[in-house]
Amino acid sequence: MKFIKVNMNKKTIGVEDVPEKYRGLGGRGLTSIMINQEVPPKCDPLGPDNKLIFAPGLLSGTPLPNTSRISIGAKSPLTGGIKESNSGGTVAAALGRLGITAIIIEGQAPEGDLSILKIDKAGNASLIPAQDYKGMRTYKFVEKMLEIYGKKTSILCIGLAGEYRLTAASIQSSDMDGHPCHAAARGGLGAVMGAKGLKALVVDQGGKSADAIADPKAFKEAAKTFTKAVKDHPEPGHLMPTLGTAALVAPLNSMGAFPCYNARKGVMDGWEQISGETMAELIKERGGKTTHMGCAQCIIHCSNEFVDTEGNYVTGSLEYETIWAMGGMTGIADLDIIAQLDFLCDDIGVDTMSTGVAVAVAMDAGYKEFGDGAAAIEMVKEIATGTEFGKTLGNGPAAVGKHFNHSRVPVVKGQGIAGYDPRAMRGNGVTFATSPMGADHTAGNLIGLCLQGKLDPMQAEGVVAISRDLQIAMAAFDCTGQCFMATVAAFDPEPGEAFRKVLSAKLGTELGPDDFPGAMGVRVLKAEREFNRKAGFTNQDDRLPKFFYEEPLPPHNTVFPITDEEIDSTFDF
Amino acid sequence: MRMRVKLYGTLSHSFPGYQHALGIEVEIPEGTTVKGLLARLEISESQGAVVAMEGRILKADDKIRCGVPVNVLQAIHGG
Repeated sequence: MKFIKVNMNKKTIGVEDVPEKYRGLGGRGLTSIMINQEVPPKCDPLGPDNKLIFAPGLLSGTPLPNTSRISIGAKSPLTGGIKESNSGGTVAAALGRLGITAIIIEGQAPEGDLSILKIDKAGNASLIPAQDYKGMRTYKFVEKMLEIYGKKTSILCIGLAGEYRLTAASIQSSDMDGHPCHAAARGGLGAVMGAKGLKALVVDQGGKSADAIADPKAFKEAAKTFTKAVKDHPEPGHLMPTLGTAALVAPLNSMGAFPCYNARKGVMDGWEQISGETMAELIKERGGKTTHMGCAQCIIHCSNEFVDTEGNYVTGSLEYETIWAMGGMTGIADLDIIAQLDFLCDDIGVDTMSTGVAVAVAMDAGYKEFGDGAAAIEMVKEIATGTEFGKTLGNGPAAVGKHFNHSRVPVVKGQGIAGYDPRAMRGNGVTFATSPMGADHTAGNLIGLCLQGKLDPMQAEGVVAISRDLQIAMAAFDCTGQCFMATVAAFDPEPGEAFRKVLSAKLGTELGPDDFPGAMGVRVLKAEREFNRKAGFTNQDDRLPKFFYEEPLPPHNTVFPITDEEIDSTFDF
Repeated sequence: MRMRVKLYGTLSHSFPGYQHALGIEVEIPEGTTVKGLLARLEISESQGAVVAMEGRILKADDKIRCGVPVNVLQAIHGG
């Protein structure tokens, strides 16, 4: 249990035991609670007072499968509020195996200075000059790092967007094959990393100094039960390895809740051309991989490798939200174009969701036609070349809306929505409006309940409470480092209890349902809300854009009906 | 009544030769419910299937209407 603290002004690195007040915290819980305590809420997110925190989950580095999610936190330059963005890949497991609870980047390097933070297999950290890698795209950069440090190395890095400090810049995470195709994409944390003068975090995967498990026997037993539940579950056990999250394209269109053409319609013309089923057929036909292990210790394999007609790699881990943003929102019903856009974003280091929505806003403003794939590619390329328009695009949908003086901008707290239209799926509208992170599907997604037949997507009554409960649960699970795909199994009572036992055995504390997810989730959300209040957010920031309340969405032709009073009761704790 | 049904997720795997563009044709009696259709397709509860028609997710006892495209979907919790 140790913190590695890096001061970018002085280029000093300190190692300390985790202070008492942060014990028992991991992942999002640690990043959010530390930011609330230590980062001045009104500071410049791209200035020296902000902190960038990398925290593996409480279970990262243990033998439990699917626990390699890294939480990255800071004050967001995109939203102006608190931000935790998490990513898969291999780095969380690598840090966990080194007993590193968090890496905290403080201060700011002199202008133009760029470094790599390298952590070896003994856990020793050092700053290495990275001037030679300035302006390097992420795929090439990761390739270079693996050449130098070996294939068993995990990398988190920024691309050009991060170096330019654009507010939709991502932090890319390398997968099992050394492709930087996973991302802590949301909230512009890549810009914070760029502003600190940090190009990458490079971690040896050979660590053997993981924190002890308090009760190894109980851990092993409960982990076995939970792992079996994940394998047997129809979603992580069967659907995910077959289609991945792209399986969502069909349900959302079938429900009329797929925001497309910049959220002008709820069903996309020709959506079958970009469905998960079509993608899987296409990948198989071309010799790519529909089932792919992207993250360390993964038993689900929801990732994929999209290849071109010659069988050459185009991009990895092409997921629902990217297909929706780059295809649905832009009206581009062409998986080859979407795959190229996904690769470009990963390579430049920019959020595919924010960028897709930003392209859609530009199209909606009349800059280009919806469905113009070639134009979308050129637009995204401009982020890398650093033109004025490219910078605007790389600063996300709100910046593009401002540029064109266009009001139909689907963002909350400055962050673009995800692929669920609030007018046809009301519960996710509540989550988008109220999450301290800005519009964020991962904060509490009600789609599962809708597709289990337990909740009518059009239902408005009671969804505030459901969103609240899910947001609490997700805030807690985001502390553990466990992938959401496996967490789905924990929603059933028996596996849920087994998971709680795993966590109890790791921490050496008997946790009941009130403790986890209950109390842990509430504690995290309270800290996040408190930070946002201190940063100047009010209830007025917990609102969807006006057009969701006024402009009916076909085919249901309904608007978002939940009142401000109801929205303001979401966090009644 | 004869109707065309499209299967999504892994549901089509039990139907060798299934083609997405076409879906499958099934014969069901008038008034068949969602539950009845799923039973006819031999889709078990553990496969977590729901039926969508005209932009709505139907309940188990809702009746299938003739001449309306029917999509059978699998539960998924998010992306």
